[in-house]
Amino acid sequence: MDPVASLLDRPKFYRNIDGVTELGGGVLCLGCALFLWLQIHSPANSVWHRTSIFAFVGLMLVIHYGTKAIKTHITYPRTGFVEYRKRHRRLTGIIAGALGALVPVGLIIVSRRHWDITTPAALIGLVFAAAYAYQIARPVRWKWVVVWAMTLGSLMIAFLPVDVLGALANDSSAAHPVRAKLAGTTLLSLMIYGTMLLISGGISFWLYLRHTEAPAQEDQ
Amino acid sequence: MNQQTRMIADLDRVIHEPGRLMIAALLFAVDRSDFLYLQHETGMNKGTLSSHLSRLEEAGYIEVTKTYRGKVPQTLLRLTNAGRKAFEQYRRKLKEAL
Repeated sequence: MDPVASLLDRPKFYRNIDGVTELGGGVLCLGCALFLWLQIHSPANSVWHRTSIFAFVGLMLVIHYGTKAIKTHITYPRTGFVEYRKRHRRLTGIIAGALGALVPVGLIIVSRRHWDITTPAALIGLVFAAAYAYQIARPVRWKWVVVWAMTLGSLMIAFLPVDVLGALANDSSAAHPVRAKLAGTTLLSLMIYGTMLLISGGISFWLYLRHTEAPAQEDQ
Repeated sequence: MNQQTRMIADLDRVIHEPGRLMIAALLFAVDRSDFLYLQHETGMNKGTLSSHLSRLEEAGYIEVTKTYRGKVPQTLLRLTNAGRKAFEQYRRKLKEAL
């Protein structure tokens, strides 16, 4: 890559210089795992089933405003403020939205046709690991450990007996065996990727705080 | 003077300077950024960065806005349309010349 092209890429990697993007992703995955677990293990007429959508919206708001607060109070005063070009942001949103829509559609198709759901779940995991490698791990060498861990996690899901995964969601509300397996696979995937993102983001945030100076109260 | 030599001679000298090239490339990839970000990414000191920014502003390639982040003054920088065009042209000409 020529030096100018690498300079053009720098702002893209700056987005996660503090690890906050990963922390947000980790909290989202683990939050969804918790919600899914509650959904499976609570009775169908419980308060949780009636209020789960509000909890999800609350989680999204906490992540959105939490990351914004960290950027405003910690990152921007230490290493500067960047506003990204809207055209790129919209395009990224469309791609992420399309991929996000494909995942549940794929899982629904798989569950309806009674296929072995661990294989597509593992494939989604591999795509996720590849996206993480391209978007986040490229400029930071140690993050390749996370990429390999994600890959191994995906392969582990593929090789786990489906019954073991089903046992994770073995409850009255997920009595249908295929649905139970789907819920178990999703739960385990969310837990694995969420934990990895949280650990990686936490390390990045700690390193960022160590290697950058607290802002001096003076004119730029 | 052959065509390739002419191409090199025609390169935009405002952008051709390595420090200003770094600034232009960083600003090209974003909508706007502040002074601190450019200082962090380029590794330049405040004086050098300021002088390069002044030169780019004189050429009409960047737009400088002074504002406040809370009580702290903040200098926001944006590549103008002329700056974007000049940078794209510079890259194209440099590729052709090499």
